[in-house]
Amino acid sequence: MKTLTEGEDLSSAPAVTTTLTTRTTPVRQLDRVIIRFAGDSGDGMQLTGDRFTSETASFGNDLSTLPNFPAEIRAPAGTLPGVSSFQLHFADHDILTPGDAPNVLVAMNPAALKANVADLPRGAEIIVNTDEFTKRPMAKVGYATSPLEDGSLGAYHVHPVALTSMTIEALKDFGLSRKEAERSKNMFALGLLSWMYHRPTEGTEKFLRTKFAKKPQIAEANVAAFRAGWNFGETTEDFAVSYEVAPATSAFPAGTYRNISGNLALSLGLIAAGRQADLPLYLGSYPITPASDILHELSKHKNFGVRTFQAEDEIAGIGAALGAAFGGSLGVTTTSGPGVALKSEAIGLAVSLELPLLIIDIQRGGPSTGLPTKTEQADLLQAMYGRNGEAPVPVIAPRTPGDCFDAAIDAVRIALAYRTPVFLLSDGYLANGSEPWRVPEVDELPDLRVQFASGPNHELADGTEVFWPYKRDPKTLARPWAVPGTPGLEHRIGGIEKQDGTGNISYDPANHDFMVRTRQAKIDNIEVPDLEVDDPHGAKTLVLGWGSTFGPISAAVRRLRVEGKPIAQAHLRHLNPFPKNLGEVLKRYEHVVVPEMNLGQLATLIRAKYLVDAISYNQVNGMPFKAEQLATALKEAIDD
Amino acid sequence: MAYVIAEPCIDLKDKACVEECPVDCIYEGRRALYIHPDECVDCGACEPVCPVEAVFYEDDVPPHWQPYRQANVEFFDVLGSPGGACAVGSVSADPPLVAAHAGRADDPNR
Amino acid sequence: MTEVIEALSLVPKAEAKQSMKDFKSDQEVRWCPGCGDYAVLAAVQGFMPELGLAKENIVFVSGIGCSSRFPYYMNTYGMHSIHGRAPAIATGLASSRRDLSVWVVTGDGDALSIGGNHLIHALRRNVNLKILLFNNRIYGLTKGQYSPTSEVGKITKSTPMGSLDAPFNPVSLAIGAEASFVARTVDSDRKHLTSVLRAAAEHQGTALIEIYQNCNIFNDGAFEVLKDKQQAEEAVIRLEHGQLIRFGADGSKGVVRDQATGDLKVIAVTDENASQILIHDAHTTSPTTAFALSRLADPDTLHHTPIGVFRSVDRPVYDTQMSDQLETAIEQKGKGDLATLLAGNDTWTTGR
Repeated sequence: MKTLTEGEDLSSAPAVTTTLTTRTTPVRQLDRVIIRFAGDSGDGMQLTGDRFTSETASFGNDLSTLPNFPAEIRAPAGTLPGVSSFQLHFADHDILTPGDAPNVLVAMNPAALKANVADLPRGAEIIVNTDEFTKRPMAKVGYATSPLEDGSLGAYHVHPVALTSMTIEALKDFGLSRKEAERSKNMFALGLLSWMYHRPTEGTEKFLRTKFAKKPQIAEANVAAFRAGWNFGETTEDFAVSYEVAPATSAFPAGTYRNISGNLALSLGLIAAGRQADLPLYLGSYPITPASDILHELSKHKNFGVRTFQAEDEIAGIGAALGAAFGGSLGVTTTSGPGVALKSEAIGLAVSLELPLLIIDIQRGGPSTGLPTKTEQADLLQAMYGRNGEAPVPVIAPRTPGDCFDAAIDAVRIALAYRTPVFLLSDGYLANGSEPWRVPEVDELPDLRVQFASGPNHELADGTEVFWPYKRDPKTLARPWAVPGTPGLEHRIGGIEKQDGTGNISYDPANHDFMVRTRQAKIDNIEVPDLEVDDPHGAKTLVLGWGSTFGPISAAVRRLRVEGKPIAQAHLRHLNPFPKNLGEVLKRYEHVVVPEMNLGQLATLIRAKYLVDAISYNQVNGMPFKAEQLATALKEAIDD
Repeated sequence: MAYVIAEPCIDLKDKACVEECPVDCIYEGRRALYIHPDECVDCGACEPVCPVEAVFYEDDVPPHWQPYRQANVEFFDVLGSPGGACAVGSVSADPPLVAAHAGRADDPNR
Repeated sequence: MTEVIEALSLVPKAEAKQSMKDFKSDQEVRWCPGCGDYAVLAAVQGFMPELGLAKENIVFVSGIGCSSRFPYYMNTYGMHSIHGRAPAIATGLASSRRDLSVWVVTGDGDALSIGGNHLIHALRRNVNLKILLFNNRIYGLTKGQYSPTSEVGKITKSTPMGSLDAPFNPVSLAIGAEASFVARTVDSDRKHLTSVLRAAAEHQGTALIEIYQNCNIFNDGAFEVLKDKQQAEEAVIRLEHGQLIRFGADGSKGVVRDQATGDLKVIAVTDENASQILIHDAHTTSPTTAFALSRLADPDTLHHTPIGVFRSVDRPVYDTQMSDQLETAIEQKGKGDLATLLAGNDTWTTGR
């Protein structure tokens, strides 16, 4: 049980006199909970979700989140397209997904209820804000009668809460307008949920006071609303039980942890990589959902020597990054699917110039504008082949939000060592989802430094020493990286085919054939670790995935093994080149199933390269796979 | 580097080359035409149009006409670098090599 | 010379005196004989020694087009990139390497058609680039289609019944895009070209030089009106900062401001109106007169074309400001500590 103390007296705001009452209701232990907060985009559901996540992380549970927002900034209030939600799964053990279906739905209005009720299993709890269930808002979303009264929610355990009016009542002494007071209702909901699940509250109160430091009145109002929600839970009889979910001590090996989202992990990975390579980071980018956060984050770190350039368009973004790479910077560009399409010519140029460059694609629903705020993994073939001519580019995909950090570092390693553009394929689900992450020690990070060319590298027949910009390292096939400012190495490079070695323009047929094959060989021979296979029971079926399906696949595999069904699991980080042992791994299994959020792009690559009859399991609905659904599909493959 | 007008031009001055030159660097002397060594940009437009093949790239001047390289330089000792033959017009002088030339047996003007 | 060029103060100087030959690469020049590009190449190679910069700190970035072959013939660092994108690539290079002298070579198609967007943003930002725009009013490399600067009604392979679009005036466009330095010159006038290169090199920020260049294969004589002895005198208006804007035989024509409309016009100079003739001020902050001067030229015939430096003003330079922000950030927050950054504000530790 926890007791909390009175707030500080601030001279410029009414003193918060509510205390948090001590707990007297029975407490039940749970091993995990899945909560979904849902409301209008303007209701602050993302903030509420973020705060609950933070409290949960600091409490020590393992967690996984799934924010779900509409593309529009502020869709009309009370409409179905305007519903924004945040799902959080937390547990006393290590978990892999944000959960197939919530145990608890917090619905701030009729639209939020209608949009989400279908996802609830029988017996789930629904906390509804009854104040918003009036005729007009209900009619707007198609409720002819009130679902709170007509028995249609009989399968669930409904907690009616007059959230709006109780918030306004709690804040009556703060001298706020009704509208301002109403805005704090998400904090009331947060307080209630924090009580229900024994979440620590100091962090949230501190957060509110910091966020609204310039408006202490608003800060205190929010704290008051938060506490009012907590107290409501404690005093009301409707919430007869509260729940405890113990910290997941076994999930976290020794270390220091923080909560992190994929885009943040990626940004930190880039800065760390720049440090480890001892190169200045240069980002050329154009705002696009869901990649803009990386531009924002990197812009904050100029004191790390990071230059961020918001270009006039996607092509200028990659152009500037490539120009910076030519000058010896670590060039990076970030975007989503539509931006990759625009950048394709420039990527081809980078392939021909053989300069290091990172192209980060946070995949989203396509084609065309598609679903900007929904996830998908359908850019794999674009990354592999979306350029004119034979223009091979290495492709790397992270598997979890935290893994985005390591994937960034690995991508930089490859780009620098082999002088090549590299694709990093993340997706909206990883980008915005978060999980606890073990903060690495700086001296654990790999040394990524490469040498610039400094002098002649070739001797002519007559003994003269010259510099040949395309004379390759025999092992990596990488060409020397000679940056402007280096005396004696003046040379010109371009997109036209060039003679191997000298780098002079060449239309010679044999040379072109040789160069095309050499560029391909350089990529094919990139050193990547062997694929690891998890197969404790000698299974006959392998499930092979890439990217963010790792969580759902792993959860599905767990379920199957618990049921006694043997299944092997492998997850690719390197999609080009594939690990050297992939062919051999695939041949060991009778069935290979490839679940993907596309129509079978990895499966296509596997089938083409290894002549393996891979079975696709596809979903293209803008949402991650559900563990249960995947488990069922995999079971069919096993039983076949 | 520059192009050079050699012996076949003397007493002919066809001027097909002048029509082609994009920088107007071919000047007219009394008996021959001269390419300004600093104003010439090596574009090579003059060389193929000369009806008597008097024009050569500096490095390709035949051995017996090497002295014409110096002649093309000397012509401009007084003129300097005018920046365009059009403004200068015809100059009634030639460098010594050309001035001393005996003339053509088959030259109708002689 | 180089000691006093503030704009190049961050670029290392050459140790020994340089000659034109130092800047010629070993590649055989492959433009068509008679192409105006040869003249520009010679002028640039002839001018570089004057700057006395370390050769290895000079970079030429080009797009696609005949003029974009330029970097291969300069013995400096160079990149022959993709159609229209050179200003963007050069922006990344210049803003990350302030110790380089970065030149962009582009053409009327490369810069004003596909590359229009990147050109106007480079000008707007005032990145430290010198942009040489070779305008031959045609597409040469792809063999003779009309370009955004071709005159209306131009008959070409893609416009057999004559082109329909009104041409851009690159100088007007640049001034409209907030350019801090805009000049126009002619390929065959070596002296004038060199003087404009000099002014551009001394300028801090983006310098756009439009070079009228003759394509003798696909658009021969496009600028004859400005080169032919008879016509040029009446057709070309030479601008010199601080000098009266007079041209024509014996300076018989001048440029004055129309009292009624505020517009500029060409008049025959008399004793009565001589005092109204404008004195060219390239450094005035307002771009209005420079813009008006650029409008004097007839868009199709090029009669009354001003050449020289239209505008040369000081504006904050993008690369300098970008670097300044990095320095300010370090002053305010101290040099970044990676361990602190990775940990963030909210960590917890487990012992197991």
